[in-house]
Amino acid sequence: MPRVFFFFFVVAATLSLPSWSHAEDSLVVYSGRAERLIQPVLDAFQAESGINVQMLTADSTALINRLQMEGARTPADVLITNDAGTLERARELQLLQPATIPGIEETIPSRFRAPDNTWIGLSGRIWVIVYNTTMVGPGDISSILDLAEPKWRGKIAIPSAGSVYLQTGVSVIRAVKGDEVTTAFLRGLKDNAGSLVYGKNRQIVAAVARGEVAAGPVNHYYINRHLAKHPNAPIASLPADQGEQGMGVVLNAAGIGVTVQTKHLEQARALVRFLISPKGQRMFAHVNKEYPLNPHVTAAPELLPLQSIQVARVPLSRLAQLRDPTMTVIEEVGLR
Amino acid sequence: MKKLDSAKTLLPLPLIRFRLPSPLILLGFCLAVALMLPLLYVVFSAMTADPAVWRRLWATRVPELFLNTVSLSLGVAVINLTLGVSLAWILTRYTFPGSKIWDWLLILPLSIPSYVLAYTYTYLLKRGGLLEQVWQTIAGPEAVFFSPFSFAGAVLVLALNTFPFVYLLTRSALKNFNVSFEEVASTTGANRVTTFFRISLPLIRPSLIAGLFLAILYVASDFGAVSLLRFQTFTYAVYQQMTGRFDNTAAACLSLILVACAFVFLFGERWFRQRSRFYQTTGRYRKPVPQPCRPLTTLLFTGYLLLVFGASFGLPVLLLIQWTVKAASAGEIAHQFIGYVWNSVSLSGMTATAAVICGIPLAYLACRRPTWAGTFCVQGAYAGYVLPGPVAALAVLVLVSQTVPQLYGTILVLLMAYLVHFLPAALQGMESTLQQLTPNLEEAARSLGARPLRTFFRVTLPLVQGGFLSAWILVFVQCMKELPASLLLRPVGFDTLAVRIWLEASEELYQLAAAPALLIVVITIPVVLLLMRKDRT
Repeated sequence: MPRVFFFFFVVAATLSLPSWSHAEDSLVVYSGRAERLIQPVLDAFQAESGINVQMLTADSTALINRLQMEGARTPADVLITNDAGTLERARELQLLQPATIPGIEETIPSRFRAPDNTWIGLSGRIWVIVYNTTMVGPGDISSILDLAEPKWRGKIAIPSAGSVYLQTGVSVIRAVKGDEVTTAFLRGLKDNAGSLVYGKNRQIVAAVARGEVAAGPVNHYYINRHLAKHPNAPIASLPADQGEQGMGVVLNAAGIGVTVQTKHLEQARALVRFLISPKGQRMFAHVNKEYPLNPHVTAAPELLPLQSIQVARVPLSRLAQLRDPTMTVIEEVGLR
Repeated sequence: MKKLDSAKTLLPLPLIRFRLPSPLILLGFCLAVALMLPLLYVVFSAMTADPAVWRRLWATRVPELFLNTVSLSLGVAVINLTLGVSLAWILTRYTFPGSKIWDWLLILPLSIPSYVLAYTYTYLLKRGGLLEQVWQTIAGPEAVFFSPFSFAGAVLVLALNTFPFVYLLTRSALKNFNVSFEEVASTTGANRVTTFFRISLPLIRPSLIAGLFLAILYVASDFGAVSLLRFQTFTYAVYQQMTGRFDNTAAACLSLILVACAFVFLFGERWFRQRSRFYQTTGRYRKPVPQPCRPLTTLLFTGYLLLVFGASFGLPVLLLIQWTVKAASAGEIAHQFIGYVWNSVSLSGMTATAAVICGIPLAYLACRRPTWAGTFCVQGAYAGYVLPGPVAALAVLVLVSQTVPQLYGTILVLLMAYLVHFLPAALQGMESTLQQLTPNLEEAARSLGARPLRTFFRVTLPLVQGGFLSAWILVFVQCMKELPASLLLRPVGFDTLAVRIWLEASEELYQLAAAPALLIVVITIPVVLLLMRKDRT
């Protein structure tokens, strides 16, 4: 037998051996969050429980598509996303299973979970405006809609249309202000941003800190994380649309759900319990600078207290229905 | 003819003419169908899509995407043309210290995947970054350099990534150029510039166009660079629709448009090539003799070459080395790193082996049985050529979920997507190797009583193994670099090097992406050099 052929076979056979064996005994987490924000918490869980965790990171929406396609064969035990709307969508598609968790009423407020606990919020984030303190004066911006004013042309950074934060934010604006105002707002935003479209919140905060742009909408904790690293950065956080007539800021939750198909129900529940426990919640609060949803855990001291902020009155569970028409509006305006 | 036929009917043999198709044809047919099915599925699901989806896409996305894709391709083409022709001209017409080495160095940019180049340029071009600082010392402190996340940024990165295509083809055309034509022009009074534009350039046009077509095809199907630079092209939009929407219909529609454009483009290329053929008419042929340069010219040329090489390879690789060292000394290289290497290597190895094995019957059909059935099979197998990565991934995804959903989420799906995507590359090499082998040898073996399989293993394979091995290596390297399909289809715990680079780079975590990026470049360099050396002898 010619050597080269033999070589091909040997290579193929030896190389393929380890790839076929999927670690059966580990807990598989599908995660739509940035790895850096969830890996430390999962590592802590793994260290405490001895349960091996494997994570697959992708866009939240893509993970839902994947779960649906995999159906009964999915290796996923747990779904973690950065947006409650996506979790609600997964619930509607019956990808997640309900759970009875003793003491949940005291641990996570009911507005941050599905009625049957198919998904449970883990950490809260508000959609705020990050601005450069040398470029934006007090009172220049008070509403998120101000970002669309022509005077900010070339000075506003925005997230890409694929970002679930943007989609959620636009959904809330649509629900409160209607499609016409929303479309006008997005048109202005698009003109102001031009090519300043960023894939990640991190990048928007960095751009504002460098003075490339004056302001942009982001999740609050990216600002606090940046300030923790660069305490002298000329940036500040502005919760918009406050006051009597204000729409309020968009409050969203990252959350978790256990898949219907899991073969590791006990371990999956253990992960959920760990993440809502004071220990897990403290990690979200102090490592990530998010708002812990467990009322027994306090947020990082540098954050504005959540109680002092007026939040838009659009229930998280409605976000799922709002998503598709919102996408159409975003695409019609031509955001990218 | 008639007579022969009627003579044949007298013999008891004619039944043989209606025998079953040979096992080879059957095998080739099955393979071709398997390779074409994904494409057909995408076409089918796009055709049957809700008209509302089509209307939405036409109204919101298609015009912008079309304009972006075309203008990006044109922009890259213009820069490629300038760089490729000038570099090839310098290195074939002049000789100066180091000109032989430059000749080699200019191939190296091909070993950098587009997303790696893109991510180093997001660093170099960022506000206050290295290039802007340099620019500000020249043009004043207020000067701003263009953003990497713009048309200019995307054109720059992709042009620096693809100019070797044009350079290489122009170079070989200029090397075999007949200088007599230019001499005739000079004797009739044309100056050097006129001679270049009126005589030399038109004569190397076919090679130029071939190089440009390669580069444009690469640009239009690129996912890595445009996704990191967030420049909206069709290929990137397909990925975005797949990951941002709850159904894949819109992605399929955009894929259909993209594939249709690619077909038009490929046929356009064929047509162009057939129209522009030049032949040596007389026997008088003189090779160009490179002229030695004066010191000043040498300096000028070296500076130019250094600039192009530095921008396309030197600087990015230096950055990668620096980041890798930093990350290693900070202990930031993940402990799973070896695992990522293993995933990449094993998957690429498997795909390459599968591609060569599948390629054998198809290459055989192409070279030994040029019947219509054989041609059909071979052309079908080439269908993957027009599928950019995300489209190949989508196609395999849709097909698998409709037919054998059990496979979804396993490594086999990823393998299939790779195979559809890269088999054409292997097939091309194998076909040309097999073509060079005269059938007489096989016929001799057969006439001595060896059966077809034995003939293949004892006679054919030993003679073509070199060519098959280079096909294997080619596919292996392509798979190591593959990004979009891996991103979309990887099983749990199966991150490849390319996936890691992209995930880290898209968060601008430069140091963390450096080690896998450097590794891919290091693995690719010898392969690029190897393939080029074969090309030159």
